[in-house]
Amino acid sequence: MMEWIQFIATAVCLLAGVFAFAVAVIGVARFEFVLNRLHAAGVGDTLGIFLIVLGCVIAAGFSLDALKLVLLIFFMWFTSPVSTHYVAQVEYFTNRQLEKYVRFIGEAENGSDTDGDS
Amino acid sequence: MNKSRFLSWLYGETDVMEDILELDETSDESREQLKREKRRLRRELLRSGRAKKVIGAETKGFYALYHVVAVVSCIMLIGVLLFAVANLPRYGEENPETTEMVARYVEKGVEETGADNIVAGMILDYRAFDTLGESHVLFTALICVTILLRLDRKNMRKTYEDYYAIRGERFHDISREAIMRNVAAVLVPCIFVFGIYVLLNGQNGPGGGFSGGAVMGAAMIIFSAAFGFDKADRVFSKRLGAWVTFAALSFYSAAKGYVFFTGANHLENHIPKGTPGAILSGGLILPLDIAVGMVVAFTMYGFYNLFMRGK
Repeated sequence: MMEWIQFIATAVCLLAGVFAFAVAVIGVARFEFVLNRLHAAGVGDTLGIFLIVLGCVIAAGFSLDALKLVLLIFFMWFTSPVSTHYVAQVEYFTNRQLEKYVRFIGEAENGSDTDGDS
Repeated sequence: MNKSRFLSWLYGETDVMEDILELDETSDESREQLKREKRRLRRELLRSGRAKKVIGAETKGFYALYHVVAVVSCIMLIGVLLFAVANLPRYGEENPETTEMVARYVEKGVEETGADNIVAGMILDYRAFDTLGESHVLFTALICVTILLRLDRKNMRKTYEDYYAIRGERFHDISREAIMRNVAAVLVPCIFVFGIYVLLNGQNGPGGGFSGGAVMGAAMIIFSAAFGFDKADRVFSKRLGAWVTFAALSFYSAAKGYVFFTGANHLENHIPKGTPGAILSGGLILPLDIAVGMVVAFTMYGFYNLFMRGK
């Protein structure tokens, strides 16, 4: 009985993780603008990793392997958002046609028409 | 269309990456300034005597000789390789490489090298000469990059300084940001510990010099990116890197030379093998792993360092 519960919980977690990764992959492939694609990729990097590793933790039971997997979640959640943040920042600082895709909140009302591109 | 674009890129007339990899936008003033500076430097170079000499040599057939030598050496290399390939044993045929050597590695590897990890035993004991060559390739690549990109007071002229000032503004420096610094402060020690673990565990499990060195090099790169070159230079300076790499390669050569000498002359090898499975086992494999790891780590960091702030 206990093993069946463990198995079902593992399967649910893994399937949910695969679903999150599928969403991430479809988003990265279908979106056009970089920041949107980063948003999609971030879903896979955080939620997908979390769910899949959680499934592995449940499957591993209470052991040292489970602790290593929890550490894996910790490091992934620690580093992946940072790298996403910096990729987004590079995009923000280097894209010349940023106004085409992004509406800056608070600037539209002021009418501060930037003289970047016509 | 495509071909002509490729050709013009080949001869340096246009920059294909223009508009794609440029980091600054809008004002073309700085770019114009760069172009003007480049043109001026070029003019100055052409006016000096040495450039004239080089151009004279080119017209006198130096270039033709260069091409001929390149073609001849390529053909010779191709011939040697084809000859070697033609002499390879056929697939499935009985030959010592596929039968005796593999069997010996698998059966006697642990006993002869003292390492549980049979791959480590192969690359650092049976075929250590090959790994020594690989380390020297890394070292040579680092030397070449250093020669091309090094930037210090000796070779930096006044006229270049503005050039770099203009270029420096175009890069966004992330080393002053709180996110990067705090994340790196937590991460760098962890990565270093993991790298040392991988490095020291090479003879017992997956790992070894190349992978451990790569992890440590990544840690050094993160440290340098997060805290800036000034702080990184206090810990791992170029000088330290050069000395560590030199010492590691010398140690590797000396140790392996000793082993080869004693082995070839049927002398007794005084290096203890240890019990397989312990950290201090595998004879020379652990020290050689450390040496290779140092070379790899400092090569990676040196590449990053030189390409980030070089010419």
